[in-house]
Amino acid sequence: MAEAKKSMGFDNVEDILTKIENKSLKIESLIKQYKFIEAIKTALEGYPPQDERCKHLQSANWIGVHKALMAIKDVEGMLRSLDPQYYDILMKYAYRGLSSGNRTTCDQCLKIHEKLTEKAGFGCILRSLVDTVNTV
Amino acid sequence: MAAVAVHQFAQCITCHAWSPDHSMVALCPNNNEVHIYRLVNDKWEKVHVLQKHDQIVSGIDWSGKSNRIVSVSHDRNSYVWNREGPEWVPTLVILRLNRAALCVQWSPKENKFAVGSGAKTVCVCYYEQENNWWVSKVIRKKHDSSVTSVAWHPNNILLATTSTDGKCRVFSTFIKGVDTRESKTGSSSDPKFGEQIVQLDLSSSWTFGVKWSPSGNTLAYVGHNSMIYFVDDIGPSPLAQNVAFRNLPLRDVQFFSEKMVIGVGFDCNPMIFAADKSGLWSFIRFLGERKESLSGPKSGSQFSEAFGKLYGQAKHGLSNDTVEPSKIQGAVHDNCINCIALLNKKGSETKRFSTSGMDGKVVIWDLGNQQDLKEYL
Repeated sequence: MAEAKKSMGFDNVEDILTKIENKSLKIESLIKQYKFIEAIKTALEGYPPQDERCKHLQSANWIGVHKALMAIKDVEGMLRSLDPQYYDILMKYAYRGLSSGNRTTCDQCLKIHEKLTEKAGFGCILRSLVDTVNTV
Repeated sequence: MAAVAVHQFAQCITCHAWSPDHSMVALCPNNNEVHIYRLVNDKWEKVHVLQKHDQIVSGIDWSGKSNRIVSVSHDRNSYVWNREGPEWVPTLVILRLNRAALCVQWSPKENKFAVGSGAKTVCVCYYEQENNWWVSKVIRKKHDSSVTSVAWHPNNILLATTSTDGKCRVFSTFIKGVDTRESKTGSSSDPKFGEQIVQLDLSSSWTFGVKWSPSGNTLAYVGHNSMIYFVDDIGPSPLAQNVAFRNLPLRDVQFFSEKMVIGVGFDCNPMIFAADKSGLWSFIRFLGERKESLSGPKSGSQFSEAFGKLYGQAKHGLSNDTVEPSKIQGAVHDNCINCIALLNKKGSETKRFSTSGMDGKVVIWDLGNQQDLKEYL
């Protein structure tokens, strides 16, 4: 019983990893076609698995999202066309970017943080800090 | 202007409650006393000081019909104060708590009161005539953390609680001998004391400020994640609406009609939420005026200087002298508002309420000349 459960868990992880890789490829192709806003929308769709043991899945997901975030040149324009339901998750990714310490990532994420706070307010920051259930 | 009166009572006010005729207000100035002020010739005079608690008084409620004050404190005690002549006489209520009491509210019929505590319990107290004392019955084992707020349903039996474990729960507090069983709902409702009717797990953060609508059909409570939750049809399948707003979190809410709620919190300005014809709740506007500062960045809030420094990290040449520190523009309160109380005169249409906060002010607001809100009242 325990073994069956373990193998099912393993398969599930493989599935999710494949989904994340596909998402990453899709984001890359959208970026190459200069469809930055589409890329962001794809990147922000859905949360990675929250399991403690699957931290590597969150990292894999972050790589794809990071590409989409760095490709944005016009942050304000991007936010104008973004659905408000994605504000909270974008803020969470912005904080993840800021925590990376990498100069260019932090510059971009700081820009995103500034414009997003103007648009979504402090409530957005609070929701991204307080939400321990859905993390990125 | 919606704010009709502002008075500075202390450096900081923990909570406040009004007398039945609204001529006196009882408040705790962030210490172990309850101060009662009376309005005499447009001036507030301190008429009584109730000194019995050893630590900060965290909750005060003044019953409307029986004119009794109940106070609870971090010293784990609660006192019921009765007016005897010119004096207020305290009666100790033994709550059997091993942590602070955090909030209190009289039931609609004023024969019971509920106390939320840091001991993860709720005490429901009622008066036993034979022994001439207050008995406390405790609801244990349901909360995972401190109970921050309690609210009674108009039927005097259901009690809603919010807790720092992020959940809002509704319990039955039916007590034999105190409550009468409704014959029509006798079989369908389960009136056992302490029975949890529903547990709402909508917020992943601390929850505060729960209140029932006047009819008892809707429940509203706030989360520390800048969200307010409206729940209809309390029962096996409740209908919940999560409203996210862009400002700082709220601490307390109050229903003004079935369709209007005002929330108060860290933005120091009451926020109005209303439901449209289809029942969809949304944020309407702030009640107090908010002027945007003329100079400084677009956010125009008191955080502009701090944010200027934060964003200045990326822009190397940004001088911090260009950003002026600006106070919260136009808000009446200077600090977090943590208590809101209704001030309706019987038979009067206009809705008045008061707020008190950590700045030590009590502000009285009147919704009478707010034209755009008339449709919700």
